[in-house]
Amino acid sequence: MAINLNNKSGAGRADWTPYLFSAPVVLYLLIFQGYPLLQELYLSFTSTSLLSPAKHVFVGLRNYSDLVEAAEFARVLWTTFIYTVGCVVFSVSLGLGAALLLNAPLRGRGLARSLITIPWAAPPVAVALIFVWMFNGQYGVLHQAFQWVGLSDGMEGWLNDPALALTAVLVTTVWQIFPFASVVILSALQGVSSELREAAVMDGADRLSVFVAVVWPTIRPTVMLLTLFVTIWSLRRFDLIWLMTQGGPIGRTNTLVIELYRRAFTFRELGEAAAVGMVGLTTALLITIVYFWFNVRAERAAGQK
Amino acid sequence: MNHSIDWRHSVRVMVVLAILGLTAFPIYWMLVTAMTSSGNLFASPTHLTPDLKQWPVFSKVFGETPVAIWLKNSALVALGTTGLSLLLAVLPAYALSRFRFAGVGLLGLGLFVTQMLPEAMLVVPLYAIFGQLSLLNTLTGLILVNTAFTVPVITWILKGAIDGIPIDIEEAASIDGCSRLGTVFNIVIPLIAPSLAATAVIAFFHGWNEYVFAQTLISDAHLHTASVGLAGFVGELSTPLHSVMAIGLMYTLPAVFFYLLVQRYVVAGMTAGSVKG
Amino acid sequence: MSSITLTQVTKVFVSKPVVDKVSLDVTSGEFLVLLGPSGCGKSTLLRMLAGLESLTSGEIHLGQRRVDALPPSARDMAFVFQSYALYPHMTVRRNMSFPLIMRQFKWWFHIPIIGHLAKRRIEASPEVSAMVDRTARILALTDMLDRYPRTLSGGQRQRVALGRAMVRQPEVFLMDEPLSNLDAKLRSSMRAEIIKLHRKLGGTFVYVTHDQIEAMTMGTRIVMMREGVVQQVGTPRDIYANPANTFVARFIGTPAMNLLLARMDAPQGQLEVGDQKFALPAHLASVTVGGSQDVLLGIRPNSLAIVDPQDKRGLAGTVSLVEHIGADSIITIKLDSVKTAHEGDSESDASDEIMLTKSGYSNLSAGSRVGVTMNLDNASIFSTSSGQRISTDLSVTCPVDFKN
Repeated sequence: MAINLNNKSGAGRADWTPYLFSAPVVLYLLIFQGYPLLQELYLSFTSTSLLSPAKHVFVGLRNYSDLVEAAEFARVLWTTFIYTVGCVVFSVSLGLGAALLLNAPLRGRGLARSLITIPWAAPPVAVALIFVWMFNGQYGVLHQAFQWVGLSDGMEGWLNDPALALTAVLVTTVWQIFPFASVVILSALQGVSSELREAAVMDGADRLSVFVAVVWPTIRPTVMLLTLFVTIWSLRRFDLIWLMTQGGPIGRTNTLVIELYRRAFTFRELGEAAAVGMVGLTTALLITIVYFWFNVRAERAAGQK
Repeated sequence: MNHSIDWRHSVRVMVVLAILGLTAFPIYWMLVTAMTSSGNLFASPTHLTPDLKQWPVFSKVFGETPVAIWLKNSALVALGTTGLSLLLAVLPAYALSRFRFAGVGLLGLGLFVTQMLPEAMLVVPLYAIFGQLSLLNTLTGLILVNTAFTVPVITWILKGAIDGIPIDIEEAASIDGCSRLGTVFNIVIPLIAPSLAATAVIAFFHGWNEYVFAQTLISDAHLHTASVGLAGFVGELSTPLHSVMAIGLMYTLPAVFFYLLVQRYVVAGMTAGSVKG
Repeated sequence: MSSITLTQVTKVFVSKPVVDKVSLDVTSGEFLVLLGPSGCGKSTLLRMLAGLESLTSGEIHLGQRRVDALPPSARDMAFVFQSYALYPHMTVRRNMSFPLIMRQFKWWFHIPIIGHLAKRRIEASPEVSAMVDRTARILALTDMLDRYPRTLSGGQRQRVALGRAMVRQPEVFLMDEPLSNLDAKLRSSMRAEIIKLHRKLGGTFVYVTHDQIEAMTMGTRIVMMREGVVQQVGTPRDIYANPANTFVARFIGTPAMNLLLARMDAPQGQLEVGDQKFALPAHLASVTVGGSQDVLLGIRPNSLAIVDPQDKRGLAGTVSLVEHIGADSIITIKLDSVKTAHEGDSESDASDEIMLTKSGYSNLSAGSRVGVTMNLDNASIFSTSSGQRISTDLSVTCPVDFKN
């Protein structure tokens, strides 16, 4: 609804109002996000120590080339990839399932829809706290349940087991974010026309066919946007992972952001950390661009006919 | 035909209950652990229900740990973030909604880009900047940096809310002699009250939940927020676990409670723009 | 082709019956119109026929088969929605092939890629594409087969919806106010198309509308409904000439039939309206009502005529409104001595006004004094208490007790 509310002063004179209204925020973001971002970009081309942050030694692309050559960095990328894909796949599909379930008429449906947002509302620090306790290898309730079911033996909690740590972190993350996915998809499901569903039923479609022919095409744009958001949030997620494993054991939960933090504060190499950060940001940007490019192409294809 | 519907319906109800159980369990477990006597904390098999006689743990914790200071600091940061964010976001949200101007696309894009920035990445330069501005070790500094991260989302949600207000009302006000700014504050703002409440909750709990900056930019123990204080307990077992979980619960429940109240508006706000776009 | 039989069909939402013990016999091949104001239950009844709503009680039979417990796809009925409900992400061709593909559906079609290919193969098969092409030709849609619904006009989308119903060659076509979303001009041309289609296909059409003009021009029979109860079933001519109660009388015909308070004296052969006495016409004289009693006289606007106010034969009155609609004029008059029974009606308030149509352009204006004479040849008489038609003519079908 962007209508130009013209003042009575007639055409020809530019209305400064929108610019005036936006200026404070733009300025604010430039100071607190834009400038630090530029700093990071600059730092990525230097070798700087955390202990003396003012002393920069310009090294050009060396930080980046070091990253490309390092084997552990490949592992970081791989871990990030697995984590991101896992988050997206599980939280969106669980969210979709929960949304479909909650969309059907049920008693107490409204209450269920509210209650399901609990994990998303809980602070990440508290979530890390309780899940670390639950996964604890000796006394954790989840660990005991796993033993009882036969999923794990011995005293090693999942978070200390190199093979299972990422899974544990993934489970925790998905627990936190699938409710958001389900609530978003649920609201998209409200936009599905019931007459269209009935038309498909009249045409002889079974329930799954109705979903494929009517429901999915309607909610697909929302699900795609949701996927994009979950993806870039996964690339950025720090609190949960750091508090649960600090990137360990043996770097098995070391995503790009964790690696960034470790390089800056554990190894005290700000330049290298900045380079890692830039890689992460570029990845997020690329994914976004690809998403919008595909989106525009798909819209054009459907619209042309 | 009724029989098969009932059967499918029962399965559906059971699955929904199972999912709700899963989502509520960890919080429940926090409660159980908080209300377990010291002796039973490491008992095997683990007790599955809270020991209701243990409720004094919640008051004891105030004497044993600095939790009162932590919660106070968290509340201050959260309140500050809320106030500043809303103040900053209202006018740009209005501009984005009502005007077709040169910067619209760019502003929208910029707001989207900020969604990608990891706090962990900006913490180093911000540390340096704050050092120069003497904002290190201050709650004000935290408020300022948290606001930077909430303003984009809040602006977007408020824009969506303002989109939903018919322009006729403003035109009527303008004919009645109301200035643009007056219209915004006297007419538009009251009409988007539910969304304002929802965004206030978002901003509040962003400040409340935030960890990285609170951890890095503040070193004074008496300025620590609850997120930092609690983080110190994660994984370690030397502090009595029931006390830790009691703190965790006190930290978590306000967030959960308020989100339950406004979640409908939050999602509506976030999806409004994106579904249409 | 079989006929449809509804027996005591009832639908209750919460505590209120939306469809109340409706029994109907639909002859095979006829064009039956369910007519009534919004909320009268006509759409619900149609949806129950289709299987989109369950019955609270009653039975529906298609020929010998009982169908009310069957799912929609097993009833051999097609449904045309008010909003057309075209699949927006499919081309017109695929919209029309969809029912035929679903007919040949196998469980393994759900498997992503294989199922997709199987469905495409069916769509391209000779039988399916021939049927789609033939239907498209009948509806003049051949040029649009590869387009998407959003690029089509309202009338074109309407035809695609019809085509999707036709490809299934069903026994029964159910249509839920299909023309309501079209503008007036398009509506009249589509009306004609649907009538022609019915003639060509010969199937049983059950058509829901609130528009009496559609009902009168399209239907072979009309079922008039109000608040879930059938008021009258008959041919358009029947319903127009012999409405079964005051509700039907005022619903059919524009402007609506006037209902005047009158006193009928059958033994004397007289009808007293206002301060005039009229001779009771033959078709009303045979009604056996003892003595004289108050009745409602139903007389259509085109059975009234304007005379000089001094004319002794006419009822005196004052013109309150004159409307010119091209070939005719509609004149609203408040008669001095006559009361009407139009309370709560949308066409007039309780101000005892009658409406009269006169061909040509009337030079009368508001405030003019006139006289009104009545031609009672086609008049109807209704009870003042129940609104029911008083008549010896028992050909009017009234299956349920009337409520007024």
